[in-house]
Amino acid sequence: MVTVKQVEDDNLVSKGAIPEQLKCPRFCFRDIRIPLYRFSSQSLLDDSPFEGHVCITEDEQSALDSLLLAQWEDKMWKGVLRYDVTTSEIKVIFGRRKFIAQLNEELGMDYVPKPEADKICGQGNLSEFQWTKHQEEFLFYVASGEMAIPELIPSAAMPDGAVLIIINEIPVEYGHVFLVPCGSDSLAQVLDAKSLEMVARFAVEINNCSFRLFYDCPTAGTSHRYFEACYFPSPLPVELAPVDTFFHEGQRGMRISTVTDFPIKTLLFESNKKFKRMVEVLVEICYQLQEKSIPYNLLISDCGKKIFLFLQMQNMANSGTLSAWECGGYFLFQSRSEFDQATEETMLNKLRDVSLDDEGFQVVKELCCSIADKFAA
Amino acid sequence: MESQLNFNIENSFNSRYSFCARQVLDELPHSFTITDPSISGHPIVFASKGFLKVFGYSKDEVVGKNGRIFQGPKTDRKSVMEIREAIREERSMQINLLNYRKDGTPFWMLFHLSPVFSKEDGRVIHFVGVQVPISPPRRPRWSASGVVRNGANMCEEGDRVCGNIMFGSCRREVCSDTPVELSRVLALESVLDDSSRGLGIEETCEASNLEKQEAEVAINKIFSVLTCHSELTGRFVCAKRHSLPGAGILSSSLNISLGRIKQSFVLTDPHLPDMPIVYASDAFLRLTGYARDEVLGHNCRFLSGADTDFSTLYQIKESIQTEQACTVRILNYRKDKSSFWNYLHISPVRNASGKVAYFVGVQIEEGCKNQDRNGLCPEMRHRSVVGAVKVAVRSLSIGAGPSRS
Repeated sequence: MVTVKQVEDDNLVSKGAIPEQLKCPRFCFRDIRIPLYRFSSQSLLDDSPFEGHVCITEDEQSALDSLLLAQWEDKMWKGVLRYDVTTSEIKVIFGRRKFIAQLNEELGMDYVPKPEADKICGQGNLSEFQWTKHQEEFLFYVASGEMAIPELIPSAAMPDGAVLIIINEIPVEYGHVFLVPCGSDSLAQVLDAKSLEMVARFAVEINNCSFRLFYDCPTAGTSHRYFEACYFPSPLPVELAPVDTFFHEGQRGMRISTVTDFPIKTLLFESNKKFKRMVEVLVEICYQLQEKSIPYNLLISDCGKKIFLFLQMQNMANSGTLSAWECGGYFLFQSRSEFDQATEETMLNKLRDVSLDDEGFQVVKELCCSIADKFAA
Repeated sequence: MESQLNFNIENSFNSRYSFCARQVLDELPHSFTITDPSISGHPIVFASKGFLKVFGYSKDEVVGKNGRIFQGPKTDRKSVMEIREAIREERSMQINLLNYRKDGTPFWMLFHLSPVFSKEDGRVIHFVGVQVPISPPRRPRWSASGVVRNGANMCEEGDRVCGNIMFGSCRREVCSDTPVELSRVLALESVLDDSSRGLGIEETCEASNLEKQEAEVAINKIFSVLTCHSELTGRFVCAKRHSLPGAGILSSSLNISLGRIKQSFVLTDPHLPDMPIVYASDAFLRLTGYARDEVLGHNCRFLSGADTDFSTLYQIKESIQTEQACTVRILNYRKDKSSFWNYLHISPVRNASGKVAYFVGVQIEEGCKNQDRNGLCPEMRHRSVVGAVKVAVRSLSIGAGPSRS
């Protein structure tokens, strides 16, 4: 249940933006009025447990889920997307891992998700980014709110600390969007706790088991800060793999586990309570990984209850790190023959090839424990 | 609406097994529930006396609810996911699961899930879930002493047992082979007495062969009651799928996903003769006044009447033929012959192979005061239903063919 403001009371349109303001990304959206979804004041900040969250009932589609699906389907209907991704065939690759393959002949490999979000968030070419041209790709904002229940404002300018939801016109799956945090510190090159918490909250409130959120760490020399999300038709193989918990903070605290029996080194973070602290720990870990030049990806699944951290190898050749969904076991194929011939072995090798080695993994695990201990203290 | 739901729940059981089956099932000592995946929310339609005793609930508190109310903060999410997968694939499964009683105390049980198939068309009618509490083999474990001794400071926020009997250090290396064992260890920490830690924890909650047998025995007895009583109603059920699900039968998981969408819509199957309705939402039945049985298997044309514009019908037909989405305003009729303007959106929906599997039709009654609770305008309400249906149907038949092991 959300409240709906019928009147446009948010009159913050700033006219005549000063050129130097454009250096900061948050100003470039000021004039764009799109729907705004405000979370309720009951926040994960309050250490409230997931269960019993006031606006979430599992048996019913959530307001945020309806909004995202409606907006996405609407853009599809209006022809904003380059193709209808539901026409691409998907299958489970034979074998016990249940890797998933999609045949997507429309998706040119040259332009595999190098989205507008890059342009929006990258500092360098911001002035070249013509938002008017891309306005139709903007779906809505989400921001924190002060009401007891979530609120949908049909048209609003961007509030501070909002996350902008942009459609990906070359979707990997249904509902593929970019989530671009546009906060005051959006120039930071590293993942920050506020942004991660906002998007995790997004996953919690959307409350749809098919929904997955992703983050790929920026490769050397580039800078971007956005998340991606879409609806996956079935669980990703990594979510079905067994885990081995090595850090456990107590009854409701954080748990860190190794995903065993999976070709790419992966950690799983879970927390029933103290969610905010887990996010802080995770952000600190990601920062340290970046310092050590260890490429990583995040996958948020199970309605925000699970966060997977994939650890890739430092690659000298600077050639392709995998995206988070590939790490999770979902692969795209451009040609029918590749799609038909895909075997579990090939996919295993693909993941093994980029995975961090045992030694490095041990170091990362120790790092996680020490950071988690530090925050627990 | 409430009473309608209650009726559906009662009817789900009675119309299949007859009322007397309740009594016979209640005489069984086992703890089990029967759930109906075709009712929105996949609710419990029957809970045995043994079940109510073990969990400490009254019948009215559980019938109509989803089984997840017995899970709690320590219930392993992965196990829950495995159950969800079994439901999706409509197969039996056994798993050790941590559940919570009404008073908040957690306990381990062996959960055995089995689908009940309709003999006639191979569709899943119900799921039977048997719960066998796992008795820890040796040494104190559900450590009465520990609980009582610490009882005073163990309760936090009312009902969940937690807290002060954590181990001295927060960090702990655990050696274990399986995730199930691991999560069990974690869950046990809270109730184990410090002194008993370290010894025998791993084995503590592995269901013994005896318990596995007990679950099998219970399942067999329940099935014999159900199959036997289904003969009374003439609507036979069986434990094994005798025929592949017939045409026009939706899988349980699709039914469950669609049940979450609270607006008025139907799914029609273009691959069947005369393109019949294969799914109708509760809101559709409320809008049109028909019962589910009266619409499933029928073409949507029963909604049209004397004053329905022929050209609009033609427009719909054309968009279906070209597999395009369309939006129209059409005069429709309820069961009681009263008419209403239907702001209708129709869209093709594709399955995992990318082919059109169904058409979804979303109905919005024009001039109806019932504003959407999520604050979306009519067009966006159409889109949101179509989007949700597309996501649900996209996974359809993904497991089919040689890809599945």
